[in-house]
Parts: sequence; C-alpha cells; structure tokens
Amino acid sequence: MMMRMRSLFVVLALGFAAPVQAGGILTLAQAQDPASYDPIDTFLISWGQIGSNVFDGLVQRGADMAIKPALATSWEFLDGGARMRFKLRQGVTFQNGEAFDATAVKFTFDRLLGPDGAKGPQQSNYNAIGSVEIVDPFTVDIVMKRPDPVILTKFAGYGAMIVPPKYITDVGKDVFKIKPIGTGPFKVVDYQPKVSLTLEPYAKHWEGISKLDKLIYRFIVEPDTQVAELQAGRIDIATNVPVSLVPAIEKTATLKVESITGPSVTVLRFNTANGITKDERVRKAMIMAVDRETIVKTILQGHAKTVVSNQSALSFGFDPNQKPVPFDPAGARALLKAAGIAPGTPAQIDFQSNNPLFREVAQAVAGYLTAVGLKGGVKGYEMNIMTNDIIPNGKTAEMFQFGWGGWTFDYDNTAYLLYHSGERWNPYDKDPILDKMLEDQRLSSDRAQREKLLQGVAHYVADHALEIPMYNLNTIFGVNKRVKGLVPPADNRFRLTDVTVD
Amino acid sequence: MVTLLVAWAVRLSGDPAVMLAQGAGSINAQDLINIREGLGLDRPFSAQYFGFIGGMLTGDMGRSFMGGTSVGLLVAQALPRTLLLAVSGLGLAIIIAIPLGVHAAVKKGAAADQVIRIVSLLGLSVPNFWLALMLVLIFGITLRWLPPSGAEGPLSLVMPTVTLAIILAASNVRLVRSAMLDTLSAQYIMVARSKGLRDRVVLYKHALANCAIPLLTYLGLQFGGLIGGALVIERVFNWPGMGSLAFDAVSSRDYPVLQAVVTVLAAMIVLVNLAIDVLYRLVGPRIRKE
Repeated sequence: MMMRMRSLFVVLALGFAAPVQAGGILTLAQAQDPASYDPIDTFLISWGQIGSNVFDGLVQRGADMAIKPALATSWEFLDGGARMRFKLRQGVTFQNGEAFDATAVKFTFDRLLGPDGAKGPQQSNYNAIGSVEIVDPFTVDIVMKRPDPVILTKFAGYGAMIVPPKYITDVGKDVFKIKPIGTGPFKVVDYQPKVSLTLEPYAKHWEGISKLDKLIYRFIVEPDTQVAELQAGRIDIATNVPVSLVPAIEKTATLKVESITGPSVTVLRFNTANGITKDERVRKAMIMAVDRETIVKTILQGHAKTVVSNQSALSFGFDPNQKPVPFDPAGARALLKAAGIAPGTPAQIDFQSNNPLFREVAQAVAGYLTAVGLKGGVKGYEMNIMTNDIIPNGKTAEMFQFGWGGWTFDYDNTAYLLYHSGERWNPYDKDPILDKMLEDQRLSSDRAQREKLLQGVAHYVADHALEIPMYNLNTIFGVNKRVKGLVPPADNRFRLTDVTVD
Repeated sequence: MVTLLVAWAVRLSGDPAVMLAQGAGSINAQDLINIREGLGLDRPFSAQYFGFIGGMLTGDMGRSFMGGTSVGLLVAQALPRTLLLAVSGLGLAIIIAIPLGVHAAVKKGAAADQVIRIVSLLGLSVPNFWLALMLVLIFGITLRWLPPSGAEGPLSLVMPTVTLAIILAASNVRLVRSAMLDTLSAQYIMVARSKGLRDRVVLYKHALANCAIPLLTYLGLQFGGLIGGALVIERVFNWPGMGSLAFDAVSSRDYPVLQAVVTVLAAMIVLVNLAIDVLYRLVGPRIRKE
C-alpha cells in the first residue's frame, strides 16, 4: 500500500511537472543551441533545422532536394546568367506584421554583403553577388560579380534567408538574434538559452497555417540522453543518434529509426607530398587493401553507403558509372612490392578523437593495411588541433580522416576546397591540371557541361589515388511513432509544416 | 593571477575564428581576418586581457564568441543551477553519511559495520556516469517516475541529486566513521558515558561535535569541486550548469565564456573557504579562543 501511495504521488507530481504532450505538440531534441538565430551569423546544421521553420528564402528546397518557388514565384537568368530577375510573392507578411517586398530582399543582401555580414561566416558563400537592384516593389534583380553555379541553391538557405528591415532597424541586432522574425511557417515564442526554443505556427504564412499546435526544440548534447528522453516519451524526435544506440530504439515498440542519406562523406586522404604515400602506386595499393563494404556492414551496421568519390549519390557531380576500386589484398601486396616498400613500413591514420565510431573504422583500416604487409597505426587528435594545425599546416601522417559535406549538395563545394592549390584544406597537392579543371567548371554556366566537368574531376582524383573514398554516413533519427507526416530531408533541415502528433 | 593564467592559456589552444568559419563553404585568409576583427582578436594580448579585467570589475563579462550572447547572462543562468545541485547533492550526502558513519563506528567490527564499509566501497568504486545511466534506465525509462534529463522543476533535480549524493556519501561515511572512532576512544567520552548520559546524546552531542572540524574541511573541498560543475552528471542529465557551460566553451574555444567561468569559480572557491573558516569558529570553541 505504501508503495502504491508513493507511486501515485510520483505520478501526480509528474503530471504537473512534465510537459503535456497531446494535441499536436512536437518536441525535437538537437545537440546544439546555435545561440544566435540571425541568418548571417551561422553555418550550423542546428541553425538550419530551426531556421528553415522560422525563415523563408527566395526559393526553397523540398525533401527531394529539388528547388521550388518560395518568396519568389518565378525567376529568369538575364545577360547570359550575370543577372537574375526574381518575381516576388505578393501579400506575404513577416511574423510581426511587417510587409514583405523588394525592399526586404535588398536589405537582406545588403546586410549580408556589408560590414554586418563580414563579421559572420555566411558572407563568403555569397561573395559572387555584386548588388541587388529593385526593379519594382515585387521585382528584384540580383547582379552577379562573377559566376556562381550554385547560387540558386544558396538562395534556399542560411545567409540568404529574408529578414525584416524595419524590425531589425528598430530593435537592433542583439534583440533580433534571440527574437528572430521571418516570414516562415513558425514564429518564436520563447527562448531559454542552451535549454529550449518554443515555436508556434504563424497563422498568416503564405503556404497556410501549419498543423502543429506547438513546436519545441530541446538542446541535449549527449546522444544517450537524447535516446533516454525518446524512450521515456518526452521527446518525439532525437536528431543525434549514433549507430551504437540504434538497437535501443529498435527494441522500443513505440519508436522507429529513420536512417537516411546524410550530407557528409568521409574519406581518408593521403599525404601526397612526403613519405611512402608520395608514390601513387603505394596509394593505389592502400586503396585496394581496404575492404570498405565490410566496414560499412559491420562497424557501421549498414547505416552508410560506400562511395567512389568524395560525394554522395545526391550530389551534383556524382557519376553513377564510376566504378569503385575493388578490394584486392593480393594486388595490393604486389603493388607495394613493385614500389619497393619493405614489409613492416609504418602507415599511420590521423583522426579526430572525439568520434568513437570513426576510431573503430580507423582501427579496422589499420588492420587491413597490416594484413598486406604495412604496419598500420592510428593517432587521435583533438578536433580543434586537427583542423587548425595538423591538416592546414601539412603535419599529417601518411593518411588523415576528412569528413566533408555541405547542404548545397554540389561537388564543387568539396572538390575546389580540397583539391585546388593553395586552399586551406589542401596542404599537399599542387597540380595545374586539376586546378584548371576546377576553375573551368566554376566558369561554366551550362548545367550539363558543368556536371560533366565535375565528374571529370572525380575521375581524375580517383585515377591519381588522392584519397581512399570511404563512405557516406546516414543521418539517423529516432522518431516516436505518434509523429505523422514526417519526411526527413537529406540536408537535415526539417520543415515541419505538415507534421502532426497523435 | 588566475585570470591572467586563464586568459593566456586559452589563447594557446586554438583559433576560434576557424571554428566559427568552418563549414561556411570556402574560407580564405580575408574571411578569417574579418572574423578575428569582429571578435576583437586582432588586438594585442595585453589589450584583450585588460579589456577583460576592466569589464569584470564593472560587472561586464563580455560576449560569447558563439552567437554573441552576454557572458554575464550565461553565467547568471548556469551558476544558480549548479549551486542548487551542489547544495542538494551534498546535503543529501550528509544526511546519508552521518548516521551511517556513526553507526559503523559504534558497531566497529560487527556485521553492520562490515556491510556499511562494503557498500561505501562500492559507492566509491562505481563510475558516476554509469550510476547516472542506471538511474535513468530504471526511473526515467522503465518506471517513468522521473524525467531522464532537463531542468524543468523539482522532479528534474531528483536523479542528479541522488547520483551525486551516493558518490559523495560513500567517501563521507568512511570519513565520519574514522573520525568517530578516534573521538570515541577519548577520555571525555568515557566521562560522558559514566555520567549516565544516554547513548544518543553522547554520540551526537559530545562525539560528533568533535568530529566536525575534519568533516567540515572535507565538505568544503567537496563543495568547491561541485561548484566547478559536476561535469559528467551535468552532461548525462543535460543539467545546464557551470560544468556544461565550461565544456561547451572549451570545445568551441569561446575565450570570454571560459575566462568568466574560471574567474567566477575561483571567486566562489575563495568564498567557500572563507565560509568554512567562519564555521570552524562556530563549531570549535578552541579555535574561537585562539
């Protein structure tokens, strides 16, 4: 009886304290609070997840990654692509009632490209834009300074989200960044830094009012804690689920796992300037030595796909006909012998030690290298040290982990920054042929031709064995089955307009 | 001194501009220069340091590099939560530890003493994150009596408090036991007993009061450690306190937050030590007379 009383008391107390979850309240956990919700301040996926619900761009991208009209109803390219003319949607208002028109578009881009934008990380993505000209209240021209083949996609996200001129001028940046106002389907009603952000549907959104009553983001760093909250039924979507926690979700009857193609690709890049990996034959041998299919099946439990180049199948520049280098330990041994590599020569993999999953992958790769006669080794670095010093200053061992990807899903975003001479992320290669290929595709305004050129880059990189293409890791979400209508998009930027919670 | 060391050391550890710019697409040298200028990192170290000290003296702790939030606001939110957790955890630990420690000392060598000693050894040996996860599994997920994480109300406090209390109580029990054993063999205890005083009065009034000094010293140290944020506990229970704040600041090289957190913690520890010294005088008449 005593026991009963006590549990009754606890149940009663819980009823008062825990958030009530009925009638369409969706609670989503993500690892990070972006801290500023100003679009020009950030590049974080955590911002993208929230920002896509608060703001709209001129265009938007559906879950299938296709570009669709948003605040612009149509657009055309003039002057051979140097000028883009956007027809704007009429009757749209910001969440504070302010009207949306060409002034807001001009204000947004002037701010992004001016001194305010220079303090943040977004400006460099839009540097190709020269100016924005107002043609009439609902027509704007965006004039390009130089070509940017990905610019249309970039209008669908991050820095190009349209912001309200009057509100920002009135309240100032410091208020705007914690009380953001956009034209998007949800408006911010409460913000507790590092704890939670609460949104409610914006009744006058141009796509119609969203179905949810309330949308709550909770910031939970630890994946275990996110999954515990999911199992306890206190959150509906966990966005930070490592492979090791998938079985825990699968075992819970009320939950399901959504494992979808993710935006980033992991490769092992070679130190092509020094040591044994200077020799292309050695690099080829190392690629042949590693059974990547098995790594994906076992360590990654199938939540990834092997890749043939440093991009996913969704990326522009992906060539479905490009063939992977087959797993061939005997061939690898022969190649190493031909290159005059003595058995037991060390081959070390440098990696970011904050990633326990990749540690296992690195150890497996080291094992495969040892199996063909090298002496595979691994060395973990703190993430900051690795990205600030070891990689850009060319201090890596024979191989180093490199994870890259972008929400634009365009191979240029990877290839140029990783393979062009003088780029920060390219400490070793200086190849005029590759440089030329990378520059040419940027100048091309013909989509089909540019795709061919990018595919050519991918083949060139593979032919010269600049990296071991490893895998495209899935993004794994844990979702409560009471959530209906959720289509997880590959760029992780959930737009939750049609979602309901039973 | 503390402030100087911290301000100097954090700047050795990496460039926050790169952390900010990473993933932005292309980073060129000019972007980094712009970002550093925006953060005020282009100024010489002395200017940055005295700016920080001047700010601290006037109550302005500066702004976080991540999103530009006021550091004062972040600390003002985190510190009370950490203090709450520290006080409740240590309080519960004392409530558990004193009766058990006294009992073990009185029954020295008996079965009860053995059990208490073994249990406290277990408590000392259990990793705190494991204990926390087990509590979450049982009370958060299986029974659903308590929220697995967050800081939403009194119920959210229960599991982090209990986890902390179990770990702290384990060492406190052993301390109370050994201090009591020393005291119980003293002559004044024999006198008290021979006066015919009841056991409880002898133990809790005469003996325990004389154990207070070492116990206070130890509790002061524990409390100081807890203010730094019971980092692992805060992470597992997603308790947004000083430990979480410091951890995030370290991983993103958020100098202003890190400097402020360390300075505030150093000040708090000085205060706690002062408070302990004052308490010595209250509980120890001999110290008062000196």
